[in-house]
Amino acid sequence: MISWWKGAALALVAAAGLAAPRPAFATDIELFFPVPVDGALARNMSGLIKEFNDSHPDIKATPVFTGSYDDTLLKTRASIKAGKPPAAVIMSANFLTDLAIEREIVPMDDLIGKDGKTQDAFTGQFFPALLPNAVIDRKVYGVPFHNSTPLLYINADHFKEAGLDPEKPPRTWAELTDAARKLTKREGDRTTRWGLMMPSNYDYGGWILEALTMSNGGRYYNEEYGGEVYYDTPTMLGALTFWSDLVHKAKVHPAGEQKGPAVTGAFLAGQASMMIISTGSLTFIRDTAKFPFRVAFVPMNVRQAVPIGGASLVQPAGLSAEKRAAGWTLIQWLTSPEKSGWWSRATGYFAPNKAAYDLPEMKTFLEKNPDAKIAVDQLANAKPWFATYRTVPVRKAIEDELQSVLAGKRQPKEALAAAQKAADALMRPYVEDTALRLPGAE
Amino acid sequence: MSAAMQSGPVTREITPRIARWVVAGLALVWAVPFWWMLVAAFRPAGSGADASLLPSLTPTLANFAEAWASADFPLYFLNSAVLCAGILAVQLVTASLAGYVFARLEFPGRGFLFALFLVQLMLVPVVLLVPNLKTVAALGLYDTLPGVMAPYCATAFGTFLMRQSFREVPRELEDAAMIDGAGWWARIRLIYLPLTKPALVAFSIVSVTSHWNEFLWPLMVINSPDKRPLTLGLASFTLSAEGMQAWGLIAAGTFLVSLPLLAAFLIFQRRFVNSFLASGIK
Repeated sequence: MISWWKGAALALVAAAGLAAPRPAFATDIELFFPVPVDGALARNMSGLIKEFNDSHPDIKATPVFTGSYDDTLLKTRASIKAGKPPAAVIMSANFLTDLAIEREIVPMDDLIGKDGKTQDAFTGQFFPALLPNAVIDRKVYGVPFHNSTPLLYINADHFKEAGLDPEKPPRTWAELTDAARKLTKREGDRTTRWGLMMPSNYDYGGWILEALTMSNGGRYYNEEYGGEVYYDTPTMLGALTFWSDLVHKAKVHPAGEQKGPAVTGAFLAGQASMMIISTGSLTFIRDTAKFPFRVAFVPMNVRQAVPIGGASLVQPAGLSAEKRAAGWTLIQWLTSPEKSGWWSRATGYFAPNKAAYDLPEMKTFLEKNPDAKIAVDQLANAKPWFATYRTVPVRKAIEDELQSVLAGKRQPKEALAAAQKAADALMRPYVEDTALRLPGAE
Repeated sequence: MSAAMQSGPVTREITPRIARWVVAGLALVWAVPFWWMLVAAFRPAGSGADASLLPSLTPTLANFAEAWASADFPLYFLNSAVLCAGILAVQLVTASLAGYVFARLEFPGRGFLFALFLVQLMLVPVVLLVPNLKTVAALGLYDTLPGVMAPYCATAFGTFLMRQSFREVPRELEDAAMIDGAGWWARIRLIYLPLTKPALVAFSIVSVTSHWNEFLWPLMVINSPDKRPLTLGLASFTLSAEGMQAWGLIAAGTFLVSLPLLAAFLIFQRRFVNSFLASGIK
């Protein structure tokens, strides 16, 4: 019985392998990709890779869907340890520091040199704000593929109804709170419409809190060093208190954890008048919203600043020279002005390659959709995304506390102290291995 | 005296009625997500009433058509079926053999070994991802369906369940068979397995449903799109982190994925319930 099913399964696997036509001597490579945006794009990715394979007969790339950004990190790490690394991965940009510290990804400077380019000429193609999340220790570890910033989305109809001017979205925290108060609708004790919603689920919550902390003049982490986060600081306390007060004092933002899709859903259904969410949702909102909407910079308190988001292409350690070269061809093709521009128009992410915005189809697109330009304009104020040693658990340390503050279980001050303590403990091995170690002492 | 006499029949009538209402209430709560899934799956896209439990006045099959077109469902169904059937076939053999050993054979260190076996139940599967994947790759099973099945060949839960069930079989039956000259294999096949059928069925249900719904481990092992089980196929067009989900499409896809299990449950309902009752899993 055992041999029967095993035999059948093996036969099935073999048949599936044989069914795919492949040219002789083609290099087989795999591209791991997460689905950070609406699911239809996962299908677009397959089409994109098919186009690549058709135009590169000597390479056969397989697009491998790998779940969320966090799942993609997990799968990539596991595949490296199992000795089966893919030739390229679309990796959340804030994981690069950790992967570089652990030597799980390799710098691409040798490949850039082989193409006859200097590092400056190569990195100069991209918006400068993206580089701190791609160039680590002066080596190029990632090529930006699609990037985002948080944006403020407003429902223009609701603004008019509340006596506000939709052409002048709130620019400061004070204006944001004021507008949210006017926009919130209540029937007795029940809130029928929220003035403002922001996502606080894992991955998203930390990013939005980082945006607020930056707007409050703060820094989230040490951009030069992977073992320091600034959770227990006045600027972050201000940011978290602001969010908490919107929920518990002003009551213009729902309590408890809000998932990204739920926030978008509430905005589209008219149950939330404003939301702060990624520019990556822009195309979906534009295609779905049945009311006029506007987008604007994230409102500031002390300064205008937002973190970048999105993903870069990386190459894992342990690849053969042949696969690396094939993967590099794929990476350059995907990040070319034409392809990243196309992907940008399909998703709402902005194209990291500046030349994409000089192409005629992009110019026509931006004329038709001026909202898509806001995220690009906001790039002037953008700073790197939170990236440390063990990024995911260090990020979860603050997100767990954020969620309990929004649920009303904890006060901001004690929450931040707890988050700092947890994060410090997580980063301790790296800190002891680097900053706290006397050189030469073993 | 008369009061005490009267209270008896009265409580006997009220309590079952309350219990029935409570059960009905719980069943209703349990059914809400299913109902929502059905309603959402048939609702035209973009009607904006995503949270509503009221069915749309203009039901549509468009969501099903889109879900069906956007993923190779027949192939994913086949992959999931091969996975679940393969895992179950091996597990039934290993769990009943190991269960028999722990229930009936006397050997030094049996208690310790059994405890070691049960420790498996305490481990969070995530910590085993990398070691398991390394083993699977070393065996040449990376990116294959047998690679997904491999770690489940031995099952702590199944072994535990079969051991408990075998211990309830009267030893005299086995002794009688032994006197008639039956070997260990004949004794397991002719005495133990027929008498513990409810436990086997209950275990099979638990095994099939959990592997049918599994996501993370197949995600680690499988790369090729044509080897994806249903969960990966479904997730590849419904997951979204920064975007917004098309609920109608997700509901339709989820309905397609859960349909075989739902159908099996409806057809074999009575037998399922009986086997769970008999085996003590509730």
